[in-house]
Amino acid sequence: MARHNLGTVVSFEFLRTVKKRRFWIATLAIPVLLAVIFGLVFLSSSSTSSSADAQKNEKLDFSYADASGVIDPAIATAMGGSTAADPADPAAAVDAVKNGTLAAFFDFPADPAKDPVRVYGVDNGIFKNGAYDAVARQLMVLSAQKAIGSPQLSALVQGEFSTTSQTFKNGVESGGIGSVVPPLFFLVIFYAVIILLANQMLASTLEEKENRVTEMILTTLNPTTLVVGKVLSLFMVGLVQMVVFSAPIVVGYLFFRDRLNMPDFDLSHLNLQFWPMLVGALLLLGGFILFTGVLVAIGAVMPTVKEANTVFGPVIAMIFVPFYAVALVVSDPQALIVQIFTYFPMSAPVTAMLRNAFGSLGPVEAGIVIVELFVLGFIALRVAVHLFRYGSIEYSRKLSLKEAFGRAPARGRKM
Amino acid sequence: MTSATPGAAPLVHIQNFRMDFGEKTVIEDLSFDVLRGETFGFLGSNGSGKTTTIRALLGIYRPTAGTLHIDGRVFSDTFGSRLGYLPEERGLYKKESVLDVMVYFGRLKGLGKAAARTFALDYLERVNLGDKASVRLDKLSGGQQQKVQLGVTIMNDPELLILDEPTKGFDPVNRRLLMDIIEERKLAGATVVMVTHQMEEVERLCDRIVLLKNGRAEAYGTIDEVQNLYGGRTVRLKYSGALPASDKFTVSVRETNYAELGLADGVDEAEVLRALVEAGVAVRGFTAAKRSLEDIFIEVYGDENAPAGQEQH
Repeated sequence: MARHNLGTVVSFEFLRTVKKRRFWIATLAIPVLLAVIFGLVFLSSSSTSSSADAQKNEKLDFSYADASGVIDPAIATAMGGSTAADPADPAAAVDAVKNGTLAAFFDFPADPAKDPVRVYGVDNGIFKNGAYDAVARQLMVLSAQKAIGSPQLSALVQGEFSTTSQTFKNGVESGGIGSVVPPLFFLVIFYAVIILLANQMLASTLEEKENRVTEMILTTLNPTTLVVGKVLSLFMVGLVQMVVFSAPIVVGYLFFRDRLNMPDFDLSHLNLQFWPMLVGALLLLGGFILFTGVLVAIGAVMPTVKEANTVFGPVIAMIFVPFYAVALVVSDPQALIVQIFTYFPMSAPVTAMLRNAFGSLGPVEAGIVIVELFVLGFIALRVAVHLFRYGSIEYSRKLSLKEAFGRAPARGRKM
Repeated sequence: MTSATPGAAPLVHIQNFRMDFGEKTVIEDLSFDVLRGETFGFLGSNGSGKTTTIRALLGIYRPTAGTLHIDGRVFSDTFGSRLGYLPEERGLYKKESVLDVMVYFGRLKGLGKAAARTFALDYLERVNLGDKASVRLDKLSGGQQQKVQLGVTIMNDPELLILDEPTKGFDPVNRRLLMDIIEERKLAGATVVMVTHQMEEVERLCDRIVLLKNGRAEAYGTIDEVQNLYGGRTVRLKYSGALPASDKFTVSVRETNYAELGLADGVDEAEVLRALVEAGVAVRGFTAAKRSLEDIFIEVYGDENAPAGQEQH
């Protein structure tokens, strides 16, 4: 019966959330916004890219003065250039540009690596003016490449090559940055789940109270079943939201990465190490249980969402506090403040997940924090269920914890 | 009138129940049984602890002391599929559709999805809400919401029906519907516990009653037994004119053209009738009877100045 009821609660709570128009408006607002931004970036990128390609290859009537001696006259001529009438007097060429008798004039300095190339041109509008700079730059690059005489050397000079690196710790290859990133995904998921769902967790358990439906519920099913069912359904709702949110990013990355100027994530560089991943997953689960229990308890004690929010805010703030000391968390994990954040229950998940990712959370510390989170999480859930049972019947006033626990079995005669 | 099963163990057994809230004792020492198949009236003034007793019986409150059993055991949610409970505090999930809420509770009470849906749709047709199945509950009127709540209460054909102030907020149409449903459940063999102030309904429906006062059972038994306990006879009078002051009777109920008169010791009905006629009262109906429950209720609780409304706990 309990399992049947758990399934019924999960199904009811999940469906009634995802069937609401308001849920989809809120959920789709972010991906639609992302899609719009991506679309604008795509259009802009396409336009800029084709424009830049066209501009740098554009044949332009210009004159130039070359004090560096790098510019190849043949390339300049092919691109529409000619040597200035008096290379020693660039001011005359600039005047010619000013009065419109000359389209453009490029003044290459003696040391282009130190001094800027001065580009002058007749105004053709903000977009087309970029052609002057593009042509001057292309002229310098092609001339330099020709001077080097080797495409390979040219590429190397421009840093167009890749490296692979291996580091070792105690004779075993260490993961480097590639091993830091995967465990950090758990931190991202933790933030996403708490931020997306915390308000719903709070409102969800307050709903029975606000709707005066507590007595009907408490005499029909076990409050533990109700609370667990609500938590599971919220987790499912969170998954739906994360899928919807990430869909445009995944689609954009897979099919329009270049156009959207998205970085090329080389996933082969990621190093999935078993223990950090396991510890990360357990910290995520323990942290989720702890925060869920606390939020449900708040919902059970407070009579309305408005009043619950006064307590809810500081609790949520606790997951951001470790970021004030993130530099210490990464660089000096033994610092006192980092140790406090590591073991203080509400800041422990974030701090421990950060340290786990950066490899500074030892096995003993990890074990202590995981056990702490699970034990406190289950205690919080037990307390939350108790408070829901005895608190949600207090329809219009805040539950006194003294009263709630005063009604515990220990005080009443065991029947 | 009683349909209780003789000799069977009581379905509800409450013994030496005590309930304290902090320093305040709401129930001091309460004991009574509800027999299987009977309709039981649980009576008391506002704040006397009726709802507290029901909540303790159903496990919502932990009793300070005493035994509260349903079917020989402390209530747990496993009995929930055999229970129909209409609490004094009414409410359902207001943002959901009528049908979704009814099916949800039907499922929680052990019905299959199809059975819950069928029951819900049939019930809504019966109470003229067939076209409201897909409407959100908060779009219904208060009376319509009451009907839905009543449907949720009975949708598992409960073996035990506990109705806390069942007619509270009901208009006469819904009250009639409720009474029909109670009659049906009685005929189907259900045990019904009514927590109410409506003495007329108690007299009409209940087999036995308990009157709760000062945290104890002031009176407990069949209606006849309780009436005999308080003794006295009464006259139900239909009349016109002005009732005279008399040492032969007291007026316990006075309405327009209707009154109930309590007879003084040693005075019989004929003397009262004579006194009325001599005083010029036009007597249209004159029925000698035992004292009404309402009369007894007023006598028992008349010295209290209980605030109207919900109980404190």
